[in-house]
Amino acid sequence: MHIDESIADYVLSVAEKSGAEYAEAYLENSVSSGCAIEQGIFNGAYYSEGTGLRVRLVKNRRMFAFSTNKLNKEGIARAIRSFHGFKGIDTALSNEKALNVRCAVNERKKIEDASMLDDLSDMDKALAGIKCLEYKSLYGGVGRSVTYFSNSEGSAVRCSVPYISAVMSLIVKNGRETRQSVMQFGNTGGYELFNAQAVTETLVEKATSMNRVLEKGVTLSRDSLHRIKNVVLAPEITGIAAHESIGHPCEADRVFGRESAQAGSSYLTKDNLGMAIGSSKVNIIDDPTIVNSNGFFLYDDEGIRARPKTLIKNGVQTELLANRSYAQTLGMHSNGSSRSDSYSNEPLIRMSNTYLQAGDADFDELLEEAGNGIYLKSFMEWNIDDTRSFSRYQGNEAYLIRNGSICEPVKNFVLEKSTLDFWHAVRLVGKEREFYVGTCGKGEPQQGVPVTMGGASALLTFR
Amino acid sequence: MRACKRAQLDDIVASVSTYRVVYLKITNSSVDSIVEKQGQSGELFVSKDKKVFFTELKTLNRDGVATSIRKTLQMMPKLQLKEDYYGIADKPFKHGGAHSYDRKLEQISCDALSDLANEAINSAISNGATNVAGTIVVGVSNHELATSNGFSSSAKGSSITASLRLFKGSISFQDAYASRVLKGINLDTMAKRSAETVSMTNRTGRIDRGAYDVIYLPSPAGSLMLNVTHAACMGDVETGSMLTGKLGKAVASKDLSIYDDGRISSGVASAPFDEEGTKTQRTSVIECGVLKNYLHNFSTATKYKTKSTGNAGLVRPRPWTLVFNHRKSSQSIDALIRSIDRGILITNTWYTRFSNYLTGDFSTVPRDLALYIENGEPKYAVKRGMHGLEHEMVGIRISDNIMRMLRSTERAANDARQTFSWDTDGYFFMPSILVRGAHVTVA
Repeated sequence: MHIDESIADYVLSVAEKSGAEYAEAYLENSVSSGCAIEQGIFNGAYYSEGTGLRVRLVKNRRMFAFSTNKLNKEGIARAIRSFHGFKGIDTALSNEKALNVRCAVNERKKIEDASMLDDLSDMDKALAGIKCLEYKSLYGGVGRSVTYFSNSEGSAVRCSVPYISAVMSLIVKNGRETRQSVMQFGNTGGYELFNAQAVTETLVEKATSMNRVLEKGVTLSRDSLHRIKNVVLAPEITGIAAHESIGHPCEADRVFGRESAQAGSSYLTKDNLGMAIGSSKVNIIDDPTIVNSNGFFLYDDEGIRARPKTLIKNGVQTELLANRSYAQTLGMHSNGSSRSDSYSNEPLIRMSNTYLQAGDADFDELLEEAGNGIYLKSFMEWNIDDTRSFSRYQGNEAYLIRNGSICEPVKNFVLEKSTLDFWHAVRLVGKEREFYVGTCGKGEPQQGVPVTMGGASALLTFR
Repeated sequence: MRACKRAQLDDIVASVSTYRVVYLKITNSSVDSIVEKQGQSGELFVSKDKKVFFTELKTLNRDGVATSIRKTLQMMPKLQLKEDYYGIADKPFKHGGAHSYDRKLEQISCDALSDLANEAINSAISNGATNVAGTIVVGVSNHELATSNGFSSSAKGSSITASLRLFKGSISFQDAYASRVLKGINLDTMAKRSAETVSMTNRTGRIDRGAYDVIYLPSPAGSLMLNVTHAACMGDVETGSMLTGKLGKAVASKDLSIYDDGRISSGVASAPFDEEGTKTQRTSVIECGVLKNYLHNFSTATKYKTKSTGNAGLVRPRPWTLVFNHRKSSQSIDALIRSIDRGILITNTWYTRFSNYLTGDFSTVPRDLALYIENGEPKYAVKRGMHGLEHEMVGIRISDNIMRMLRSTERAANDARQTFSWDTDGYFFMPSILVRGAHVTVA
């Protein structure tokens, strides 16, 4: 995979001559391939390869981005020269140190040698024996993104990141009732990270447990549900909650209104930064530097070194996710949170791997302390409002806790709480961490970037 | 096409799209930034002995295409059979009608676009809004398609879409318009109407959980109904959708019809032919309450012994534009409000998520103004906030079922228009609708 870096040099030269105060060029060569098996039938394969360029300029204090995969110098120069500004908002960027670095993710088994089709076929065969499984769709793919970033301040950042991605959808049926689950798997790194056997076991366990809920689950009355005060949340739930009700509201562009008409705003405003969000047990981190994680990156799309960000420390909001523009607004340095899903879209402030930091409780201790309540292991449906003030997680697998022990499954448990009630209710946090893969959407046009969500289990006690 | 033909493949579909799209973003009542995307993309679909392969050609020079084709041919032998593959559309190919195209959108400048945005912002502010956010997007494209069965044609597209979200105090309102021609959207009028809506009340109050009659304005109504045409696509039907196994059955109010329309002249998503050259058409998905058709490409239609509906998608059929029709749709939105004893006017939703796509169970969150209605009169905006610790209300959520909605949509207003939602991928010609008995929860 070859990138002609001279195009980036040309971009910076033309931009400087056209009077831009700042310019950057981002070249990306991407290759990906994958396949699908739906209802036991192979549904085709795909392959994609190409190179594109994104240019961002600040000229007359206005931000302009231009992207193309037609890499002829004349057209690129015309686009740069034709921009003179517009009547609108001033753009200023934080001062950052120029970097000249490389980042390459190691891979023992090259993604070009991936055996995804064979692996999906084996999974499909393994699932064929599960009678309750009414519908199954298996999608898997691999890819590699090679990028070169350079800017008018002297930065030059070269990255090569291979990745694996899979989505599995299962619907089980028991009598007239059905239950569904969509699971994602993903890593950055070589194909050795795709443990097909482990994924198969996860799928079998998911189908079996959903069927168990249908077969043996109880339906609680509204009064019984209302009386539940203690809820033990598995990492799948604490993770999605950390992502939705902490990570998103801590994105500085939402706080300052730039996503108001798209991905929404935030309960945080410039006037309440540093507010208490949860109990002192709550610590939430966003860390893109976790090696081989789905949300991994070492340098963001503005050429800034990435680092872990503590969003919530002991229950108090501490740091916002920022790019250079909002770092300037906040009077800080960028913390390297600027990402795009491809060269063709503008980079936005995004999460990476967002999680509830582990505490010191054993899982049994969480159950014991709960005494009676609910153990919410996984969710089906979730959503949250525009300001991220109240969310809902409908239990896929939920179980009654009785005298500190996990008992029969519950079919109709839904956790619907305000953000403050949710995080202030955290009484104990578990020792063990688990991570779940997802795709996070934002922007116009909507961009999906790979993330993980997870962390520790927790006991929440509501009033 | 020539390179693929030499390889003696069974079916070949090659397409090339050339495009220019400009996105303008409005933040805090000012133009924030402009993003321009130009380029060319290609797609290649080939089959040999029921092995099918799809290639995205991101680099459309001779070397890039040759490399992609070489890799495609190398990978083909390793594939398994797609046992239910029955080929691509064949002659005779009928020519679809022309759609509106606006040359003015080809070279619209950043200056001209920012002038349009600033006019809309000024109109919104002068009519009472205190803050404006939004996007204006203009695009032009040329799509060329050729197949090994002899189809060869091209289609031009142009569009302008605008989405404005206005704020006044604690109330917000968002609306979206779409057109194929520049004159199809009057941003000044759009901003003025939105400002009037966001200013219609400054009173807020709470409601209790329970069943409410709900009026959805066109954008949220279409956003929810679009799930119907997606669920009617044969790929979804085969992998389990809420319409699976219901063909020919009554699934909706007998007054309600839903069409998938790829040919509607003013439709932003319209095209004269689908991805294998079949002429696009208007297909009745639901006709007078009965599920009439699933949406097919040639292969799925052959599999199920029916005709293509012009919805290829080569691997999976896909919907075009949703057109909603209700026999009882002569009344104004005000008349719909007057017909409600206890209800809510929902102006926007987002985060619609299914707990079960097979049954149609979902929940969705009203994002902006939700107006509580009592005895036919608007009373107040439903309160939103984040006062959880004091156990004050923070907002509402609708938990419903698409199939129940289809049966309970009693009437529509006379305000149908083309619109869209940030939360949904697609366009729809949709009126406001009145749905009886939706379950509302309160947090």
